[in-house]
Amino acid sequence: MITQAEIQTAELCLELTRRHGAQQARVSISKSEEDLIATLNGEVDKVTHCADRSLSVALFVDGRFGSFSTNKLDSESLDVFIAKSVDIVRMLAPDPCRKLPEPERTVKDATTGNELELLDPFYPNITADIRRKTALAACITGDRELIGDWKLISEEGEYSDSIYDSLIMDTNGLRCFHSENSFDYGVEVTIEADGEKYSSYDWDSASRFSELKAASCGAKALDNAIGKVGAQPLESGRYNAVVESRVASKLVSPLLRAINGYALQQNNSFLMDSLGKKVLPEGLTIVDLPRIKGQNCSKYFDSEGVATKDMPIVEKGVVSSYFINSYMSGKLGMDATIEEATRPKVLPWPKAGLDRDAIMKLCGDGILITDFNGGNSNPATGDFSYGIEGYAFRDGKIVAPLSEMLMTGNFLSLWEGLIACGDDCRSCMSKLIPTLAFSNVDFSG
Amino acid sequence: MSNLDRFGLTIPQLDSIIAEGLRGGGNWCDLYFEDTAYSNLLLRDGEVSSGGHHIDYGCGIRVLKGEKTGYAYSESTDLGSLLSAAKAAAAISQASNNAAPLSLPPCGIPAGNFYPMERDWSLAAVSEFVPFLKRIGEAITTREPRAIKVMATLSYSISHILMYNSLGELSSDTRPLGSLSVSAVFKQGERIEKQQAGLSFRQGSEMISDANLEYLVSKTIDGVDQLFEARRPKGGKMSVVMGAGASGILLHEAMGHAFEADFNRKGQSVFSDKMGSRICRKGINIVDDGTLPANRGACNYDDEGVAGQKTYMVTDGILTSFLHDRISAAWYNVAPTGNGRRESFRYNPIPRMRATYMESGTDGSLEDLIASVDKGIYVDQFANGQVKIGEGDFTFFVQSGSLIENGRLTMPVKDINIIGNGPQALADIQAVAGDLSVDPGTWTCGKEQSVPVSCGMPSVLVKNLTVGGE
Repeated sequence: MITQAEIQTAELCLELTRRHGAQQARVSISKSEEDLIATLNGEVDKVTHCADRSLSVALFVDGRFGSFSTNKLDSESLDVFIAKSVDIVRMLAPDPCRKLPEPERTVKDATTGNELELLDPFYPNITADIRRKTALAACITGDRELIGDWKLISEEGEYSDSIYDSLIMDTNGLRCFHSENSFDYGVEVTIEADGEKYSSYDWDSASRFSELKAASCGAKALDNAIGKVGAQPLESGRYNAVVESRVASKLVSPLLRAINGYALQQNNSFLMDSLGKKVLPEGLTIVDLPRIKGQNCSKYFDSEGVATKDMPIVEKGVVSSYFINSYMSGKLGMDATIEEATRPKVLPWPKAGLDRDAIMKLCGDGILITDFNGGNSNPATGDFSYGIEGYAFRDGKIVAPLSEMLMTGNFLSLWEGLIACGDDCRSCMSKLIPTLAFSNVDFSG
Repeated sequence: MSNLDRFGLTIPQLDSIIAEGLRGGGNWCDLYFEDTAYSNLLLRDGEVSSGGHHIDYGCGIRVLKGEKTGYAYSESTDLGSLLSAAKAAAAISQASNNAAPLSLPPCGIPAGNFYPMERDWSLAAVSEFVPFLKRIGEAITTREPRAIKVMATLSYSISHILMYNSLGELSSDTRPLGSLSVSAVFKQGERIEKQQAGLSFRQGSEMISDANLEYLVSKTIDGVDQLFEARRPKGGKMSVVMGAGASGILLHEAMGHAFEADFNRKGQSVFSDKMGSRICRKGINIVDDGTLPANRGACNYDDEGVAGQKTYMVTDGILTSFLHDRISAAWYNVAPTGNGRRESFRYNPIPRMRATYMESGTDGSLEDLIASVDKGIYVDQFANGQVKIGEGDFTFFVQSGSLIENGRLTMPVKDINIIGNGPQALADIQAVAGDLSVDPGTWTCGKEQSVPVSCGMPSVLVKNLTVGGE
C-alpha cells in the first residue's frame, strides 16, 4: 500500500509545483514489487526480484503543459526536478485545451486502494520456497505419461507474483488510491517431429494466488504444439474465420483505438464521425465494465483520476461512446468521457452460451485462428493484414493444422460479416473478448 | 565527472557488492549502473505545445550460477540498498544447487568510440528545438496541400552507464540517442491516408540539421499519389523484390532472431544444428554490427561490458556465428560477440541484435532485379515484423510497394503482410544487388525487452514468399 511517507512526498511535490510557478498540477506515485521464477526444462533457470517506485507530474504553467517523471524521490532532487520541469514548460507554446479534469468528474470513492478487492490477503505469506515449488510443480518435463513419445526440445515456464500501488493527487483536491496483486504463469513448449520444430504457449493470470491455474498450462501448451505437427498453408481464398477468445482482442482493439479522441482529433481513424451511427453490425455490442470486484485490471479511475463507470461502447452496431479525456474534450469541443476502455466486454450473439466448438459447428467449414503472427493495420483506413496460425475445420470439426497463412481485409467489412460472438471470454484478460466468427474473409496461403 | 563519481561509489565498495552477490555460491556477479535523462517534444496542430523530461536511475545486479541467473535491482545507489539487491540476486545460488559451473572469459578487446557527439544534448535548451519541429510541420503542409494533420516528435536521451564484474573489469559508457518521428494524414476527396518517417542516431543535437529536416519532409510526402492509387494485390505465393535499406527487416525477423544464441543454446531455434552448414547461396554475407558510427544499433560496449564488434553470422553462404552474450559464449566455448544487451538496469542482458544487414552482392541493380521478374511484387516501406523461433515462420508488414508485371512496376500496393519461413527464405534468395543501404529509421526490437536496433539490405530478389491480398 502507499505509505504515509509517500503521500507526504506527493504533497511536497504539489507544493513545489506551486512554489516554482505552476497554476495547476497532478502528481502520481506508482510503485510495484515483483518476484519471478523462470524454469527451463524442469529446473529453476532464473530468479528475479524487482522493486520500482516513480513519480510523475503533469504541469500546467501559464497556459502551457508538460509531463515529467523521475525515480529520484528525495526532497532535494525533487526540488531541482520540479524547477527544471517548470522551466521546460515555459518554453512550450500555450495550449488552452490543457486542463485538469473538473472535480465533479474525478473519483471520490477510491480512498484505500482496495475497494475492488484486488489485494490477496495471502500475498504477504508467499515465500521464496512457495514460489519455487509453484514454478516447478507446473513443469511437464519428465512427465512421460503426458509427453508420450513426443520429443520435447524445451519447456520454458515463468511464475511471477506482484503488487502494484498507485496514488494520484492534484491541485483541485483529487486524492485516489489503487492497489492490486497479480499472479501469473506462462509456459512455452517446443517439440520436434519429423525433423521440424513446433512451439506453442499457454498462460493464466489471477488476482488471487489460489485462483492461478498454473498446473494446467504446460499440458495445454504441449497439446497446442502437437496440434501443429505437419502444418501447411491452405489454398488462397475466402473462408469463414473463427478466432479463438485468447487472441480475438486483435480484432477488437483497433475498433477501440479508432474511437479514442487522440485518433479522432488527428483524423487518424476509420471510425470518424461515427458517434451515434450504426457503422458496425447488429450483432456487435461492447460494454465497459471497469468495476468488477476481484477481477484483474478493474479500476475505479483513469490516469487523470476521472471516475470509471459501466458504459456502453457499441450497442447493436451503433457507436455509443467515444473515449475523450480532458484535453481531447477541449480539442474536439466534445464532452469528456473517460480516456480509454478499462475492461471492455463483447456480449454474446446471437445467443448466450456459445463456445469455440459450438461456433465452429455453427459455421460448418472454415479456418480456426488460434494465434496471430505479426501483421498490422492502417488506423486511418481500417485496412489490415495479419499472419495467422490455426486449423482448417469441416462440418465443425478440426481437420488439419495451418501455417504460413495471412488474413487480409478491412475492419468495417470484416465486422459486417460477423456470424457470432461467443460466451467464452477469459476473465483473466483485461479485454473480455470471446470467440468471434466472420464470413467471407480473405486468406492467402 | 567520471561515471564512478556519478554513482558515488568506490572500487572497494563495488567489490563488496560483488562479494555479497557471490556469498551464496554463485560463480559470476556483475553490476550495471544507469543514469538516464530522457526528453521529448511534440508538434501537434502546428504548435509545439507538449513536452517532457524523465529521469531513470538505478543499478541492476546479476549473479550467475552456471548458466542460471539471479537478478535484482535498486533504484538507489546507496551501499545498503545495493547490498540488499545483491543478496536478492544471490538467491539463484540456493535455487539451483546442481548447476554446473560456467567459466565466463574476460572481454579482451578494447572498446571503440562509435557515438560521435559534437553537441551534447544536455547542454542545449529545449527552446532551441521548438522552431525545428515547427519548420517540419510548415514544410509538409506547404509542399503537400493534401496534408491535413502533421505530428512530429523529437526525443533524446543521454545514458551514463557504469559496469563492473567479478573479473574486476570496469567499463564506462555515455550513450546519446536522438530520434525524430513525423507522421502526416492526407485527404483526397473523401479518402484519408497516412504516411510516416523517422530518423534515429546515437549522436548529439547536431542531428537537428536542415539535411535531416529535408529527409523527413521528403520521406513523409513522397509517394502520396501512389498512396491514394494503391490497392491490395491478389494474395498468394510470388517473387518479392525487396528494396535496399528498410528491407533489412527480412534479415532481422527471418534470420537474426534465430541466430541469437540463447534460442540456440536451448535448442529452440530452427538454426540450432546448422552451425558450419550452407544456409544460402555462395556470396551472401550477413552481419550484425555494433561498430557503425552514430548508428542506432551502435555499441561502444554491450550491456555486459564487452566491446562493440562486427560479427559475421553468415559468410559466403555458410552459418559461421551465432550472436552471443557472455553466458552463451561460455556455453559454446567461444568469445562473446558483444550482443549482451538490455532495455535498462531493470532487465538482465540477453543476446540481442545491433545493426543487422547483408553486404552488397554482385547481381546488378534494383532495376535489374525488377526486370527479371514476370509476376511479383516490389516492397520498400515497412512497419513491423515478428517471428516464431521454433518453426522459423516470420512476417513483416509492408506499407508501400508495387506490383511487378513483365519486369515493370505497375499498380501501387500498400498495407499487406508478407509471411515466409526463415531457412526457406534464405535459401530462396536468388539475387543480391550491389546497393547496400542501412536504414536510419527508429527501429526497436521487442524480444522480451525493448532495445534500439537498425537494419539494412541491398536490393534482393526472394522467390516464393506469401503475400497477403484479396
